[in-house]
Amino acid sequence: MLYIHQSTCISAQQTFLDVDINTLHEAIDNKLTVIEPSYESIPPGILRRMGKAVRIGVGSALPLIKQATSLDGFIIGTANGGMEDCIKFLNQIIQYEEGVLTPGSFVQSTPNAIAGQLGLFTKNKGYNITHVHRGLAFENAIIDAMMLLEDHPENNYLLGAVDEISAYNYNIELLSSWYKQEPTTCKELYHTNSTGSIAGESAVTFLVNGDQKNAVAQVVAIDHLHTNDIAIIENQLQYLLQHHLTSGEKIDVLISGENGDTRLLKYYTAVENITANATVTRFKHMTGEYATASAFALWLACELLQTQHIPAHIVKKQVAQGTIKNILIYNNYKGTQHSFILLKKEKD
Amino acid sequence: MSRIVVTGIGVISAIGNTVAENRTALQEGKCGITALSLFPSKYAGLMPFGEIKITTAALQEKLNAKETGVTRTSLLALHAFVEAIQDSKLSDKDMRCFDTALIGASTVGGMCLTDELYNDANKSDGGSDYLASYDFASVNIYLQERYKMAGLVNTINTACSSSANAIMYGARLIKSGRAKRAIVGGVDCLAKFTINGFNALHILSSEICTPFDEQRKGLNLGEGAAFLVLEKEEDVKDKNIYAVVSGYCNSNDSFHPSSLSDEGDGPYLSMKGALKSANLSATDISFINAHGTATENNDLVESKAMLRLFGTTPPFASTKSNTGHTLGAAGAIEAVYSILNLTHQEIYPGLNCKEPITATGLQPVQAYQKKSLQHIMSNSFGFGGNCTSLIFSTT
Repeated sequence: MLYIHQSTCISAQQTFLDVDINTLHEAIDNKLTVIEPSYESIPPGILRRMGKAVRIGVGSALPLIKQATSLDGFIIGTANGGMEDCIKFLNQIIQYEEGVLTPGSFVQSTPNAIAGQLGLFTKNKGYNITHVHRGLAFENAIIDAMMLLEDHPENNYLLGAVDEISAYNYNIELLSSWYKQEPTTCKELYHTNSTGSIAGESAVTFLVNGDQKNAVAQVVAIDHLHTNDIAIIENQLQYLLQHHLTSGEKIDVLISGENGDTRLLKYYTAVENITANATVTRFKHMTGEYATASAFALWLACELLQTQHIPAHIVKKQVAQGTIKNILIYNNYKGTQHSFILLKKEKD
Repeated sequence: MSRIVVTGIGVISAIGNTVAENRTALQEGKCGITALSLFPSKYAGLMPFGEIKITTAALQEKLNAKETGVTRTSLLALHAFVEAIQDSKLSDKDMRCFDTALIGASTVGGMCLTDELYNDANKSDGGSDYLASYDFASVNIYLQERYKMAGLVNTINTACSSSANAIMYGARLIKSGRAKRAIVGGVDCLAKFTINGFNALHILSSEICTPFDEQRKGLNLGEGAAFLVLEKEEDVKDKNIYAVVSGYCNSNDSFHPSSLSDEGDGPYLSMKGALKSANLSATDISFINAHGTATENNDLVESKAMLRLFGTTPPFASTKSNTGHTLGAAGAIEAVYSILNLTHQEIYPGLNCKEPITATGLQPVQAYQKKSLQHIMSNSFGFGGNCTSLIFSTT
């Protein structure tokens, strides 16, 4: 029931408006920081007060807002929201020993500041929600949108995901071994023999409704689970494929969340083995690792379906094929949070 | 379509550690807002808080929760969670089955450990035991792992309406067939982060809060947790049913990041939408558990929105004068209180309103009373204009 009609993405690559994903922008200091647009339609006074997460979240949504004839609500997934502002405020608390503080960073750090700001901008009084379930925040947002569209297929929703790199959460992830200690380039990410990945961030927005006509893709199924047991993941995937692919259909392209962390490779390999006839692609060298990276993968899937072109640098294993119709996204966050998103091509 | 019913409740707040203790305190009009005795803050002597007078270590001991990195937020959640699932007689098998969902809310998560987070965020090696505990999801992931839950788990943060949205989301999951039952609720504990944040916004009162009073001076922060077990009526069999989740609606005020519009469109639309979803009219509502934070902005706007929708408003009160404002837990705690209203057919007094707001003349219920109640509305409004109203009904 959930059809994607349009999508936008602010990422470390050239993905916003004038899209060119054939050229790869390299990480700097193990971080893939987003290329921010000029935000011409946000008044400067408001723009100045926005933290980065709110800025890129609103920025990625604005082109879709402009084109949408009507909107019935905003559904955002973000693990941390405005992390930079959050820790900026935290630092003030400690450094000024709970003295007189300015509330700006506090208000901006609330994760629902992004959806709230979008509601405010559009004077939209409809449904407004923020899912923050770490590496499954965006997946839960998709399920929310699906449920809304099952009840109201005629409605239009903006479904989005935002997470930012902040100096502080970078530090915490580094201390917890989720980011690599050694300097690593995007190109060598999958060839490092170490734990952790490189840091990333993005803001991605989709215009979704229940109308098949002129849609780019349908999200046919979404499944997420919390486990470290490969057998459970394999079973779940088998079940999903059996229930959602008709006989003769196959997964044409697998978008894998492989991220250069040696601890997680076994999960990705297990999934590749099940979708053995699919072209295997990877994207974390474009985005780095963060909790809502699967939203970038969904944007990329829409791009592949629309252009029917797979950039060479994302291919891990090429399988000869005709039209790309079915795409499976498998992502794994920190070894325990797994998700599958199955996507079907609509418009020719 | 089978109705969605509540089969288990659990709560811990500044007025009690269990549902029974909370009910007694509400009946007696007890206020749990006091000087801080456990939480270290510069504001300890300057303003009162709805603090739960149990140390984190004692909670760990009581709950046998000695896993590395467990935070006070997770412990308070666990306390209410255990009460709710035992109340609903959920077996280990029920907890582990793939169609039992957990939807929890928190606005503080592990950020209650403000100093540890500061150190970890600025340190170059080592790191504390809490590296994986700071985010909002850490609470529900802790509960999920402790009970080996295989169903859908989600965390919602829409500021002060978070757990009302978690309840709504759980009900929708069941309705859509994605879960057979959902354990829904929220938690927040006192944190330097929120104390300083709300203080910087100048909405904390140095005195005990006075919801809906003309002279109100702001809110008091509190801590607590509550969970509800939601199931389909047809699946319940011989279990006790507390109430029906009969209506819910979320609407955005789309006016300001941290205050409500004069017209109160968000509150008006969420209340109106909840009525519509419950297929009820305004006159059907027997009582409103108001958001009633005792800030100048909220209480005036909420009163105006109630007048606009109801004309003559039903009896209402805010339990924030008992517990303080528990942020991400408030919607769930007040859902439990609304269910107590229905179950026992009684209304608890709103405390400390001596002089009704001049512009509206609305006064919360002043004394405990037995009353015939069929449908209760519970309001929760948060930053970002996020407004949610829930309706609970007798079976």
